[in-house]
Amino acid sequence: MSNRVELRNISKSFGGISALKNVTLKVMPGEIHALVGENGAGKSTLMKILSGACIKDTGRIFIDDVEVYIKNTYDSKKLGIGIIYQEFSLVPELSVAENVFLNQLGKAGIWMKWGNIRKEAEELIKKIGFSINPSSKAGDLSIAQQQIVEIVKALSEHVRVLILDEPSAVLGPQEIHKLFNTLERLKKEGVAIIYISHHLSEVFQIADRVTVLKDGISSESLPVSETDRNSIIRLMLGRSLDTMYPLRNSIIGEEVLRAVDIYLADKVKGVSFDLKSGEIVGIAGLVGSGRTETVRAIFAADKHKKGKIYMSGKEVQIRSPWEAVSIGIGMVPEDRKQHGVILSLSIKNNISLTDFKGIADHFGFIKAKKESNNANGLIDKLAIKTQNENQEVGDLSGGNQQKVSLAKWFNRDCKVIIIDEPTRGVDVGAKVEIYNLINELSHKGVAIMVISSETEELMGICDRILVMRNGQIKGELVKNEFSEEDILRMSIGAN
Amino acid sequence: MKNKIILDRNLQFVIKYNTVFIFLIMLVVSAIVSDVFFTSNNLFNLVRQVTPVGIISMGMLLVILTGGIDLSVGSIVAMVGVLCALFTQSMPLPLVIMASLACGLLVGSTSGYLVSVHKLAPFIATLALMSIVRGLGFIFSKGAPILVADKASSLTDFGSGNSFGIPNPALILFLVFAITAVLLKYNIFGRIIIAIGSNEEAVRLSGIRVSAYKFSVYAIAGGLSAVAGVITTARTAVGSPIMGIGMELDVIAAVVIGGASLSGGKGSAINTLLGVLILGMIGNIMNLINIPAYSQQVIKGLIIIFAVLLQRFQGNNN
Repeated sequence: MSNRVELRNISKSFGGISALKNVTLKVMPGEIHALVGENGAGKSTLMKILSGACIKDTGRIFIDDVEVYIKNTYDSKKLGIGIIYQEFSLVPELSVAENVFLNQLGKAGIWMKWGNIRKEAEELIKKIGFSINPSSKAGDLSIAQQQIVEIVKALSEHVRVLILDEPSAVLGPQEIHKLFNTLERLKKEGVAIIYISHHLSEVFQIADRVTVLKDGISSESLPVSETDRNSIIRLMLGRSLDTMYPLRNSIIGEEVLRAVDIYLADKVKGVSFDLKSGEIVGIAGLVGSGRTETVRAIFAADKHKKGKIYMSGKEVQIRSPWEAVSIGIGMVPEDRKQHGVILSLSIKNNISLTDFKGIADHFGFIKAKKESNNANGLIDKLAIKTQNENQEVGDLSGGNQQKVSLAKWFNRDCKVIIIDEPTRGVDVGAKVEIYNLINELSHKGVAIMVISSETEELMGICDRILVMRNGQIKGELVKNEFSEEDILRMSIGAN
Repeated sequence: MKNKIILDRNLQFVIKYNTVFIFLIMLVVSAIVSDVFFTSNNLFNLVRQVTPVGIISMGMLLVILTGGIDLSVGSIVAMVGVLCALFTQSMPLPLVIMASLACGLLVGSTSGYLVSVHKLAPFIATLALMSIVRGLGFIFSKGAPILVADKASSLTDFGSGNSFGIPNPALILFLVFAITAVLLKYNIFGRIIIAIGSNEEAVRLSGIRVSAYKFSVYAIAGGLSAVAGVITTARTAVGSPIMGIGMELDVIAAVVIGGASLSGGKGSAINTLLGVLILGMIGNIMNLINIPAYSQQVIKGLIIIFAVLLQRFQGNNN
């Protein structure tokens, strides 16, 4: 039987960091092919290349054994490739029916035939076992319903290849069941389905074959019936820890921060933990497990959290980042460019934002000399590569930008520093420097919380790791119990 | 090739200081087309005319630096002008001035409250206040101009008088400008205002009370509009509810000609002041050479487009 899709030796790099290396993937018609791997392994990039959202550097793509050139999403649509992303692409102000037929609205002439469109959309929805009013606004639907509309939209385009990126993340058990029935039906119709998932149980339930991506390299495709959970987990892991990480010489002291039963909307569901001085605690978990939401709730970056927070045993109210900072909490946010630094301002101006007291007089007038000295001190300390303190942060490399984001909190005496993704998009050299800086901070008695998608990184620098899934802490490991496999199991809910 | 590079460099220089160049060109053109332009009479006249816009433009600059806008300033001028004239009938002068300024601050604070606490779009919040406050001006004055009471003659004397050979209102403008310039360049306040306009969320996550700063810029803009209202009433001895109609647009135009970015984070006090003078000179010189009012509006609009396009080049080159 010939392949419906063949990706041959696909490579792709982003600004010198390679995301995919010679990846090969073959999917047959009437097959459900699971694609698994850790966060950042390259799954989404690979699928974006197939759907035209991303252009490959090298490699070839074949559809039904004919080489194709996909330069944009329109090309892939014409080839019958449908993709359902983790983030939905529905137009919230339009009706379900309009969304379903958005790409085809012009085909039946310039006048809208509302009756037909609604009826057809309703039939398609019914066909896969759901009932959603085709006239309701897409924005008013639940996330699960939106997902269904996405699927119906892909079906209306008569796809030959259907890619689903983490479709079950937002669905309840019953809805997943219906989704699987739909996929089975599509499979019988000869559609090639690529199913990306973190949940190995689903892989074994529905997939025919599975391919594992690890650091941008693809494994062989294994028939699901001939493999087991453990072999797949082993493939998802890989290289061992090396000397990238500084020697921990932790002097762990008194409890500094304690969070009790933190809730935030439906993202964080009753998280409790404590953090001691001199300690580095990591939070592991998949994207969407509520890691970032938890720390943003503590820092009051997102409002309306519930729960109690104690600093050194005393209950505190944190209603805004200002209050968090004034009681000694600092946060290096996940999104460096949007939240961590101000790209259009100088290094000096960025650093000063967290503490004006040391550099200004009572009337708020800034002492230029003092400010420059202060900034230069931190530039030296963190080894930020720059011409001088007046250079715009936007001109720096990613690693140096991240150091500026860190320097802001070195600039004041924090008792707790939360660092979300300390080294995302940072080259190896700067990574090591950042690990050393974090280590050094902890030696000074600062309590540090680190969130990272790289399990290895957490195991390298933390004293303790909390594992989150579905907005809850599902496990806690201390240093001598660290095992990448256990962390992965806990974060995907495999036992 | 080498010539081209030098040309490019000169061009870069012109683009970088485009506000200054437009100002100088306007001066030269004015001097050429009219021989009365450089008479002290005309210059004093020009300065008096631009003073209200100039004072408000400093408040507007602060608002625009945070990425906001304030459309209510012209209405505040009218309402405060009317109230100031009314107050002179029953209050001692210091109280008149304080009460008038307080009214402006109150309106500005209302905008600031709506924008910073309730997260209303600045355009909408201040558009609503523009309408409300204009209406209040008419209500307080019953639709007719209010004369400043005779006993408050020191107010009108001040408004039409000079100190050190310079019209008093112009001195106030200069004072407001100097304070704004110093605050923006050397004070935490200015630093944070500019940072908010550059990336509000990053500033918030640095532990700064962004809403307090956003509130304050609208309050200041309201207060400065009140200053302009009092000065206008002092100069003309009348508080009229139709003062300052469309003034918000002149003020915004001046700030934009001065190179400020409406998306925030970029702008300076000196360039804004030049923007005010440029705008004033356009009006002044067109009056001197008898260009009809309708054509003046067209020409003013064209010059604004030209100035902003120049800044676009500057943005691209960076």
